[in-house]
Amino acid sequence: MTDLPLPVPSELTRPYWDAAKRGELAFQRCSACRSAFLYPRPLCPVCWAPDPKWEIASGDATISSFSVVHQAPYPSYAARVPYVVAVVALLEGPQLMANVVGCDPDDVHVGMDVVVTFEERGELSIPQFSPVEKTA
Amino acid sequence: MAHSVTIAKSFELIPGRYPSEDSYSIYCCVAKRAISEWGLRPQDVDGLFVPPSGLAVNTEIDVFTHERLAEDLGIYPRVSESVQAGGATYGVMIARAAACIRDGQAESILCVGAGKFPKVGAGGAEAMAKMVCHPEFEFPYGAYVPAIYALAASQYMAEYSATHADLAAVAVSARQWALRNPRAVTYSRGAITVDDVLASRPIATPFHLLDCSFPCEGGGAVLVTTAEMARALGAPRAELLGLGERHTHNAISQARSLLRSGAIDSAESAFARAGLGRDDIDMAQIYDAFSINPLLLLEDTGFCDRGEAAAFVRSGAIAPGGALPLNTNGGLLSFGHVGDGSGLSVIIEAVRQVTGTAGANQLDGIETAFVHTYGGMMAEHVSFILGRSE
Repeated sequence: MTDLPLPVPSELTRPYWDAAKRGELAFQRCSACRSAFLYPRPLCPVCWAPDPKWEIASGDATISSFSVVHQAPYPSYAARVPYVVAVVALLEGPQLMANVVGCDPDDVHVGMDVVVTFEERGELSIPQFSPVEKTA
Repeated sequence: MAHSVTIAKSFELIPGRYPSEDSYSIYCCVAKRAISEWGLRPQDVDGLFVPPSGLAVNTEIDVFTHERLAEDLGIYPRVSESVQAGGATYGVMIARAAACIRDGQAESILCVGAGKFPKVGAGGAEAMAKMVCHPEFEFPYGAYVPAIYALAASQYMAEYSATHADLAAVAVSARQWALRNPRAVTYSRGAITVDDVLASRPIATPFHLLDCSFPCEGGGAVLVTTAEMARALGAPRAELLGLGERHTHNAISQARSLLRSGAIDSAESAFARAGLGRDDIDMAQIYDAFSINPLLLLEDTGFCDRGEAAAFVRSGAIAPGGALPLNTNGGLLSFGHVGDGSGLSVIIEAVRQVTGTAGANQLDGIETAFVHTYGGMMAEHVSFILGRSE
């Protein structure tokens, strides 16, 4: 599908999308208080120190919460139902939203170990997550 | 001396469809009818709070709605603003109005709400998704409002081994209340069972259609005043006994916890200020856009211990005849979700019950009501307690 929604990178978020294009999941870490966070911000939300540094995540994460969507909000995702919307917690701490792909939606559960994977969409690579081991 | 704060009057359109009104004119219609029905004139109102009109349709948002409405209706307010905190908008309005009344800035503040809920299938879900999701990191994943609230439901179910049937029981109770309220949109639709909820069309697990609130149009108004003004307007009235707020996040994926919301702090503050405990409360109105919300919020606001809300609901405690009548108008689930005006319907029912003006669905012996509204993706929380005052 070509009409899937495409994120519009900004100067601030460009390193995140550039990393994704290389097959890497990037997050920011404060150089002062060492807090790790997403989404990209110009300053640390904990201590306000400027210029947080980019780091590459291991890609390992755990599903914090999820829903299997049967009625999509727009047509391009309607073609994917049922699909999984989840919030995952990276091993390094930051949380982000993604789809859980590469498995039966009914097998997804809170606490499931997942690993980052990338979906090519337009000019971008979109971080997604799939189960570490195939469920039986 | 600080003035005590009361809600002296309430007015509500019957929820339904108002095709002749647009997203602004419906505010005009509500405000005009409220002032007339209360036997007041525009000059009797010296404060005006209203949300920015057009929010739910997300196309023609007017952040100067308070100016436009005042000009159109000949109101010349001392305090006025367009207030926006999602579903918590009207809780915040009550808080701001109360502060103005206490401080002597105004003595008769009109809080107006109205809304047209966009058709979910006609781009409405997408428009709302754009408003509530992070545009770059959430919206592109097919997220939207029901799926986001479902995230919290999945955590609750995993943490406490709750089932979809536990959620469905909340919707069943809401319908039982709606069947006693001729004003509710589902009044004539008959009772529903847990099985009906489970068998309805899946939307975003665990939610099926009947776990979601009922979209419609409507609106209402309340008049927040000093006790003296309320007395002059005629008893009975609802006194604001205590109120608290907490605002926690923007993007749902950045919430610190989905099972420990800002409602913990807002409720604690409201009860502390009122000098009351949960046992002193005769009924509760808790914003219920989805069936999971009362379960989460009964625990966060201290009416149930952690993980105990599902059993509390199963025992019949929140249904007609139960220990804690909850959402006695039918809630957003079965009274109707009137878009931008939804939070006000939660409040108005508490005012109607406490002042004995509910009419057909009036309960006996309601002296106190606890109200909780949340907004955003469970990000903004306002709790307050109303007490009957002669």
